[in-house]
Amino acid sequence: MSRAPAAVPTVATLPAPAASPDRWRALTGHPLRGRAVVGVAVLVVALLVGAVLSLTAGRLGVPIGDLPSALAGTGSRAQTTVLTALRLPRLGVAVAAGAALGAAGAVFQSVTRNPLGSPDVIGLGAGAAAGAAAAALVWPGVVPVAVGALIGSVLATVAVVAGAGGGATAPLRMVVVGIGVAAMALAFVQYALSRARLADAQQVDAWLHGGLDGRRVADVTLVAVALVVLLPLALALSPRLQLLEMGDDAATGLGVRPGRTRAAAVVVGVLLTTAAVTASGPITFVALAAPQIARRLLRSTGPGMAAAALTGATLLVLADVVAQNLPLPVRLPVGIVTAALGGVYLAALLVREWRKGTV
Amino acid sequence: MSGDGTQDRLSAQGLRLAYDDRVVVDGLTVTIPDGSFTVIVGPNACGKSTLLRALARTLTPRAGAVLLDGRPILDLASKDVARRLALLPQSPLAPASITVEDLVSRGRFPYQRLLRQWSADDARAVAAAMAATGVADLARRPVDELSGGQRQRVWLAMSLAQETPLLLLDEPTTFLDIAHQHEVLDLCAELHEAGRTLVAVLHDLNQASRYATHLIAMKDGRVVAQGAPAEVVTAERIRDVFGLACRVLPDPETGTPMVVPARRGAHTRASSDLPVPPSPVASP
Ligand SMILES: Nc1ncnc2c1ncn2[C@@H]1O[C@H](COP(=O)(O)OP(=O)(O)O)[C@@H](O)[C@H]1O
Ligand SMILES: [Mg+2]
Repeated sequence: MSRAPAAVPTVATLPAPAASPDRWRALTGHPLRGRAVVGVAVLVVALLVGAVLSLTAGRLGVPIGDLPSALAGTGSRAQTTVLTALRLPRLGVAVAAGAALGAAGAVFQSVTRNPLGSPDVIGLGAGAAAGAAAAALVWPGVVPVAVGALIGSVLATVAVVAGAGGGATAPLRMVVVGIGVAAMALAFVQYALSRARLADAQQVDAWLHGGLDGRRVADVTLVAVALVVLLPLALALSPRLQLLEMGDDAATGLGVRPGRTRAAAVVVGVLLTTAAVTASGPITFVALAAPQIARRLLRSTGPGMAAAALTGATLLVLADVVAQNLPLPVRLPVGIVTAALGGVYLAALLVREWRKGTV
Repeated sequence: MSGDGTQDRLSAQGLRLAYDDRVVVDGLTVTIPDGSFTVIVGPNACGKSTLLRALARTLTPRAGAVLLDGRPILDLASKDVARRLALLPQSPLAPASITVEDLVSRGRFPYQRLLRQWSADDARAVAAAMAATGVADLARRPVDELSGGQRQRVWLAMSLAQETPLLLLDEPTTFLDIAHQHEVLDLCAELHEAGRTLVAVLHDLNQASRYATHLIAMKDGRVVAQGAPAEVVTAERIRDVFGLACRVLPDPETGTPMVVPARRGAHTRASSDLPVPPSPVASP
């Protein structure tokens, strides 16, 4: 084809290297905005504070003065053991699972064009829980629990997409069908728990409530590896997802293939959700709220994967610190704290969306 | 270009277009003359948007093909097509609280690559598109807060930022008052004079006749006439296509055809469609 578009930039026509804000935009496609910088700074500080609290608070916590030496491995043996066996894996899972949930929420909310369309609301978390319960209790030893969780979330996704008829072309139906799928998956979990041996049931029950107790380095590795592979994919899909929010025709006109993009996004979102759920249990609220909080905090438009991931990590770490340090006779699993927050948030969101007429 | 040098850049052959089981267009062949300002007219639901969507590859034909520069449009890389042909759909959705500049910048997507998301060329194209459509002053304003006319110009700016030689517009003047309608059409005429090929769906026949260099009249998914407005817009054809009795006079301003609907009593078809009230004589 000899007909080229009107203006193809050549090296000669490009101006000299620009100042740093433009270099940022050249790389990310977004102008560097003061508001976004402040938002990210707030999130990073909150995450760091949460991380320090998570290592230092509580009866076994390492006093903050001892933290540097304990982290360097030169502190007392007791402190090193607390860090490596308990607190660091716990923090690692909270950061990585929170980030994975935040990014997954951004992916699904963008695909469904609805702030309610997050994986915990549309049944993916529940599907993963059902799969994990099946693998641990109903047919123990057939597949590892993580694989069971993956099968469960894939089945839930298939059910949601098929039930909505054409899936992502009917975003709102997808949300409604997803709520039904979630209810069925949770019913299955109850069934699995009811027929399991007590000891097994207790263990799975703890996981189901999204507790971060007893996490090991293997759990951190699982989510961290998933995150390192999947987050860049989510970031690469982000501009296309952003254009799809303007409707399929407009996006196609700009060179996006809607079907392909959505399929890729759903795969990435399902894998992110599964990895998080496998490591931390079906924690609700983080995937639902993180993308919205990130949008408001950074005043951004579009899915904002990186910001949602950072917000998710911060939320889960802070929620876990709160759960661990509530003055209650028993320690709550973090999933119960997020579920309580999530209930309030979801109700507020439903009321708002109802008023706007999108539900 | 490979092959026949006189071939027009955009054409469609033997199109069958359908939604689920409903065939809307069947066996349609059409060519968009290079350098034309082509306007598509026809009654509601006759398939104008459907045809435009197929020409912009947002709807895949059940049969036939759309050819862009001699090749089936669906065989080309989608971003490559987007650097040659832009589509402004009938009702695009503006993301919540997006600013004018950000929305117009989205028109540069076809030029972006993974590691070069934004260039000086992109900035220049966005500034030029906003200047051409008169929305440069609104750059930092959220699109949600603009009037309908302003918003339409912003969308047009987004399509212009794509810098394509071909521009497809679905009802760019709907929801605008008459002054803004002419403003948008004058802008289209300028773009046309600057060398772009335009295809627009319009409702107002007088505006279509005034601005089009090539007019396509559609009815029930078929092309019933095409050519210069003076040839296409005749009283007989308007009656045939729209079911409207009218006279066609020269537009006093431009000399192009002007459709003047017949007085109420003369609407033969319309009056015969009306329910006849019971005659007072017939009632007891
Ligand atoms: N997305 C769709 N799904 C199903 N039917 C559609 C869709 N879009 C248009 N149609 C139908 O196709 C026919 C042609 O529509 P359209 O091309 O939009 O007409 P026009 O633009 O000429 O008013 C109409 O009968 C309309 O109901
Ligand atoms: Mg239409």
